[in-house]
Amino acid sequence: MDIPYTVTARPDTGLYNAKVGIWLFLASEVMLFGGLFSSYIFLRVGADYPWPVHELGVTLGFVNTLVLIGSSVTVLLAWASLKLRKIAQFRLYMIITVLCAMTFMVIKSFEYRAKFAHYSVTLTDGTILTGHLPHGYELEFGDVKALNLTVAGKTSAVDADPVSYVLPYVKGDVPKFMTESGEEITLDAASFAKIKAEARAKAEAKAKADGLKEVPQWTVKLLPASPITFSVAPSKLLAKPAPGAKAISFRDGTMVEGMMLNDKMTLEVDGVDLRGTPDKEKSLAWNEHYLGTAWKKAFIEQRDHAAAHFKETYGDSRDPNKSATQQKHLFYLHIKSATPEAAHGEGGHKAEAHAPAEHGDAHASHHPEVHLERKDVHFFSNFTPKLNSFYAIYFTLTGLHGLHVVAGALVLAYFVIFNGRMLREDPERLANRVEVGGLFWHFVDLVWIFLFPLLYLL
Amino acid sequence: MADSPEEIKKAVRKILWIGGILAVCTVLTVWLSTVELATHGQNIIVGMILATIKAGLVALIFMHLNHEAKLIYKFLAFTLVFVTALFLLFYWSSLDPLVFKDFYAH
Repeated sequence: MDIPYTVTARPDTGLYNAKVGIWLFLASEVMLFGGLFSSYIFLRVGADYPWPVHELGVTLGFVNTLVLIGSSVTVLLAWASLKLRKIAQFRLYMIITVLCAMTFMVIKSFEYRAKFAHYSVTLTDGTILTGHLPHGYELEFGDVKALNLTVAGKTSAVDADPVSYVLPYVKGDVPKFMTESGEEITLDAASFAKIKAEARAKAEAKAKADGLKEVPQWTVKLLPASPITFSVAPSKLLAKPAPGAKAISFRDGTMVEGMMLNDKMTLEVDGVDLRGTPDKEKSLAWNEHYLGTAWKKAFIEQRDHAAAHFKETYGDSRDPNKSATQQKHLFYLHIKSATPEAAHGEGGHKAEAHAPAEHGDAHASHHPEVHLERKDVHFFSNFTPKLNSFYAIYFTLTGLHGLHVVAGALVLAYFVIFNGRMLREDPERLANRVEVGGLFWHFVDLVWIFLFPLLYLL
Repeated sequence: MADSPEEIKKAVRKILWIGGILAVCTVLTVWLSTVELATHGQNIIVGMILATIKAGLVALIFMHLNHEAKLIYKFLAFTLVFVTALFLLFYWSSLDPLVFKDFYAH
């Protein structure tokens, strides 16, 4: 049975079936993105921190915009070619459209990757340092005195599993342990299974002796038979340890007693954000063991230069406190060299220092390295949704949009690859399918037309 | 959209022109974002007006809403009502904030 109105329009609506369907679908998509855009507005209006403005790389966003506009043109040209029965041209334009979609996603992946590798560290006085962690961030915990494994009495979300959750973070050789009975063991799946079974048996016996219905948890203590040092990222622990902690707990509940050897964070600093710092000249960032007074001088010079430039340009007609861009020029120091140099020079708007790295080594860092004490760090994160609400809504919006790009590209690719039979038997129906796929593609472009200025430019 | 070969060829020329205009408008948007207006709010308004013009071109010409069937306009009218209500819901909720009196009083 032939489905009617797949090619010719229904007399009452004047539309063929797929067109009605796609417009209803696009109406639901408008609601989906509308909800997210309104969330963006209210997150921005209600933000209790300086909303990131001009923080995303405009060039890549601009190129992506041109790529999507171009692909909107090519999908229409593909439809027109098919209507004129120019099949080779149809295939060419459809392939270009799909390639544009792939280009968009590749560029997006570069943007995302750069953000995942970039970190923001908020100090206790409100100063934000941004940069990279060249060695990652791991706590060094050693001089281990004991491992306390808590074996759960019944099924529990947290149950001792040192083989998966603790041993991967031991530095150096495979450690040896002494059980409470004096036996020396290498902790592996087999030996831990034996320890766990014995602990459960003891717990069950105790529950029976005490007349308890539920089997309680049982703690097994293991002593180190050799010196053990752990090197572990804070995210692998059950809770962030306080500075100078004498014990840390892993995610399986295992508590390790010992001493914090090193919990400093080595950060290659590429930016200092003082907008949230009450006393900017007394910021922790300028401590001698962090960036030092030379960078403080560079900051003061930039701030004074930006203030003078604003006054010269706008006089008293504008309030610099009401300009988000000016606040950034005043209080955000971009660092692009290993050491600062005096920001003087002919015609110089040299707000940032550009001294080359000291030794001219191609591999030398172009940013100063600071070793931050845990006690000075309030919060740190890479540039992901965890960092703040801007990045949360940025990744939600662009991620969902990216998924729509992928889905649209797959549909268009399907139309160009698996079209043989329909192209021969009913090319007009295929043209309608391409038109409908193109309508979805234009919607994806339309969303990006709003996303790009909202997130990247304004 | 057009069905006869002549109409389709004419439509192709229009598509290419609109594509060019969209690219120019994108450059204009980027440039305008570097020009600091009296308040940042004004920059946002100008940016959004340009974005709406571009979106309008895509919707009217590329998605051929400028000569679509009435049923589609009816769908979109409902959509407009619902989206407006969506935005207004958030606005209305901000006019009625939760207030915990004496919350921090000890």
